[in-house]
Amino acid sequence: MFDIIGRRRWFYIFSLLVTVPGLIAILLTFLPGARLGLQFSVDYTGGTIWEVHFAQGTPATADVRDVLVEQGLPDSSVAISTAGERQYVLIRTEEIGLQEQAPPTPPPSASPSGSPVPSGSPDPSASPAASASPSPSASPGASASPEPSPSPGSIVPTEGELGALASALQERFGPIDEVRQESSVGPVISQEVITGAILLIVLGSLGILLWMTFRFGDFRMGAVAIAALIHDVIVVLGIFAILGTLFGLQIDALFVTAMLTVIGFSVHDTIVVFDRVRENRIRHAGEPFAAIVNHSLLQTLGRSVNTSLVVLITLASLLLFGGDAIRSFIFALLIGIVSGTYSSIFNASALLVDWHEWSERRRQQAFVQSRAGG
Amino acid sequence: MRRILPFLIVAVGLLALAFAVLPIDRPFSDPPRAMDTRLGLDLRGGLRGEYQVIATDDQPVTAEILATTRSIIEQRVNATGLSEPIVQTQGTNRISVEIPGVENVDQVRDLIGSTGRLDFVPVPADFSQSVTDGAPLPAGMDATPLFSGDEISVAQPAFSELGAPEVQFTLQENGARLFEDYTRANVGQRFAIVLDEVVVSAPVVETAIPGGQARISGNFTVEEMNNLVTVLKYGALPLEINEVGFSQVSATLGQSFLEQSLVAGAIGLALVCLFMLLHYRLPGAVAIVALIYYGIVMLALFRFIPVTLTLAGVAAAVLSIGMAVDANVLIFERTKEELRAGKTVSSAVEAGFNRAWTSIFDANVSSLITGAILYYFGSPIIKGFALVLILGVIVSMFTALTLSREILRWVVRQPWSRRAVFFGVREDEFTIAAPPLRGRSREAGARV
Repeated sequence: MFDIIGRRRWFYIFSLLVTVPGLIAILLTFLPGARLGLQFSVDYTGGTIWEVHFAQGTPATADVRDVLVEQGLPDSSVAISTAGERQYVLIRTEEIGLQEQAPPTPPPSASPSGSPVPSGSPDPSASPAASASPSPSASPGASASPEPSPSPGSIVPTEGELGALASALQERFGPIDEVRQESSVGPVISQEVITGAILLIVLGSLGILLWMTFRFGDFRMGAVAIAALIHDVIVVLGIFAILGTLFGLQIDALFVTAMLTVIGFSVHDTIVVFDRVRENRIRHAGEPFAAIVNHSLLQTLGRSVNTSLVVLITLASLLLFGGDAIRSFIFALLIGIVSGTYSSIFNASALLVDWHEWSERRRQQAFVQSRAGG
Repeated sequence: MRRILPFLIVAVGLLALAFAVLPIDRPFSDPPRAMDTRLGLDLRGGLRGEYQVIATDDQPVTAEILATTRSIIEQRVNATGLSEPIVQTQGTNRISVEIPGVENVDQVRDLIGSTGRLDFVPVPADFSQSVTDGAPLPAGMDATPLFSGDEISVAQPAFSELGAPEVQFTLQENGARLFEDYTRANVGQRFAIVLDEVVVSAPVVETAIPGGQARISGNFTVEEMNNLVTVLKYGALPLEINEVGFSQVSATLGQSFLEQSLVAGAIGLALVCLFMLLHYRLPGAVAIVALIYYGIVMLALFRFIPVTLTLAGVAAAVLSIGMAVDANVLIFERTKEELRAGKTVSSAVEAGFNRAWTSIFDANVSSLITGAILYYFGSPIIKGFALVLILGVIVSMFTALTLSREILRWVVRQPWSRRAVFFGVREDEFTIAAPPLRGRSREAGARV
C-alpha cells in the first residue's frame, strides 16, 4: 500500500517549491516604481478600456500610441485583438471615460444661481398636473431658433476626454465603425471591488471553518482545511503574479469569482477525505492515526482524481473554445482546481496528522511530567 | 414514500421540461411576459452605468431621495423608448442603470448623467446671436434664471398643423406669471432653456404668452422632440449624481461570448459523458441520465425565477455540473468499493448511497454556506454567480439522491445488468446476490 502520509515531507517541499516563488512574485507587486508582480485590470486600478474597429484598416499599435501620447495619455497600452476576420484596436488608459463633459470654453463666469436645487420640495414631475388642460389651439406659440442642433447619432463618443481621443484617432486613421466594448471604472468602484473580494474570501473561509468544526467536532479539521485553502489561493495568485511579471497576464473582475470557485472545490475535496477519516476512526479504532488517514486517502483517491478530471475536462474545453474574454478566468480555475486537489490529498491530511501527533506528544510529555512531579 | 418517489421524479421532470422548452407565460406576472432565458449584458451587448448620488453639506442622501432619483432616471430612460432598461438602487447612495442592446451611448449617458438643473434664462438682445444649442451660455452673459425647472407641471410632445414635431409645456402659477411678464415685454427676443449650464434650446418669443401654456416649435426631429420633453418633464434631480463606473459591450461581442461558451460547454459536457461511460460503465450511463435531468431542471429554474445569465453565471453552471457529477462519482466509487469488499450488487448500491451521503451532504452544505455569503455580500456579478451555484448544489443533491438512486435500484434488479463488466470491476470481485426472488437471476448468481 502506498504510503502518502509517510512521505508527507516531500509533498510539503513540492508545495513550497510553488508557493515560495509565488509569494515572492506577489510581494513584488508592492515594490514601488517597478511594474512587477500581479497585474491588475482596470476593474481594480480604475481606468478605461476601449476596443474599436477602424473602417479603413487597422492602424499600427505604435501609431495609435503616438496619438495617445499627444492626447496626454502616456501611460496607455495598445493591443490588436482579433475576432474572426475582424481586427480591433484595444486601448487601455487611465480612467477617462467618466470625466465630466468638459466644454471647450470655460463655463460662464457669472453663475449667481449656484444655489443647490431646493431639497425638500416635492418633485414637480411626480405631482399630477392639476392645471393642465392643454388646449393647443389656444396657446400661442414660441418658435424656436432655426439652428440645427448637432444630434449625436454616432456610436462613437463625442464628449469629454474620450470624445477628444476618439476624434483625434478618427482624424488620423479614418472613421471608427464599431465600438466592441467600452469600460470605465472610477476609483470608488475599484476600491470597493478590492475590499469586497477580500471580505468575501475571509467571510467564506470563516463560514467553512465553523461548519467543519461543527460537523466533524474537531477544530483542527476545519483549521487544516482553511490552511489548504490558503495554499490554493497563494498558488493561483502566485502563478498569476509570475506570469503577470513575465507576460503581462492580468487579473480581471472575474478573477474573484474564480478564486471563490477554487475555494469551494478545495474544501469539497478536503471534506470528502475527512469524512472518510471520521468513518475509519470509528471502524479501525486503535490503529495509529497516521495509518487511518493514509488508508482514508487511498480509499478516496479515485473519487478525488475522477471528480477533478471531470471538471478539468470541461475547463479545458472552455479554455480551448471559450473565447478570449474568459480565458484568464478559466486559466485561474484550472490552476486552482489542480492545486485544490493536490492540497486536499497531500497537504490537508498530512497537516492533520502532524497536528495530531504534536498534540499526542504534548499530552505524553505532560503525562510524564506530572508523573515525575507527583 | 418509496412508492410516491418515482412519480414525484417524473412529475418534476415533466414540469421542468415544460418550463424549459414551451413558450409559457410567467405566472403571477402583470403584464403577462413570456418565460425566457435572460442574458446578462455581457452576453447580449448593452451598457451599464453606475452613479453615485452626491450629498451636500445640508442634505444627506436619504432613502427617499435615492428612491426619487432612481425613479426620475428610470422615467428618463423609459422615455427614450429603449427596451427593457433596469434601473436599480445599490447600497445607500448608488444607482445602476442597465440597458441592453444600446448603440448610441453618448445620448443615453447624457440623459442619465445630467443632474437636470433646468433653468429658463432670458437672453439679452446683444447676446441673441451668440447663444447656440448644445453649448454653454456665452461668456459674460448674465445667467440668472427667470425660473427653474420645478415650475413646469406638464410637458408633452405635440405636432403642429403641418405635422412638424413640437414641444408643449405648462407652467405652474408662479412660473406662468413670470413667463407672461417676460414674454409680454420681450417679443422678438430669445430665452434659453439651459440644462446643467448647457443650452438645450433657445426659442424666439413670438407673442406674449399668458396662462403658462407654451409651445416650442422648430426644426425638431422626433427624437429631439422626445429628448426635450424628457428634459422638461424629468428635469431636476434632488441631488447631483456622478458617474462612477461605466461599461458597454457591443451586441456582436456579446453574441460571440455566448456562442463560444455554448460550444465550449457542449464539447466539455460530451467529453464528461464519454469519461463517465468508459470509467463507470452502467452507473456512468445512469449518471448521464441524471445529468440530463439536472440540466433540464436547471434550465427550467433559470427561466422560472428568472436568473440573468452572465459569463460568471456560466462559470457557476460549469462548476455545479462538476458538483452534480461529483455526487454520482462519490456514490459509484463507494459502490465499487463495497462490491470489492464482497457485497452483492444491490446491497453494494444501497451502501454506496448511504455511505456517500454524509460526505455529499457536508461538502454541499459548505458550498451552500459560501454561496449564501457571496449572494448576500457580493457585487451584482458575484450575486449572479452565487445564485446559479446555490441552485446547482440543491438540484444536484436532489437528482443524485432521487433519480440516480431510483434508476440504479431498478437497474440492478434487472437480470441483464448483473455483469461485472457493467460495473467496472473484475469478475472475481463481483458477487451477485442470491436474489430474494426470481429463478432466472439465480443462475447468473451461480457463477460465484
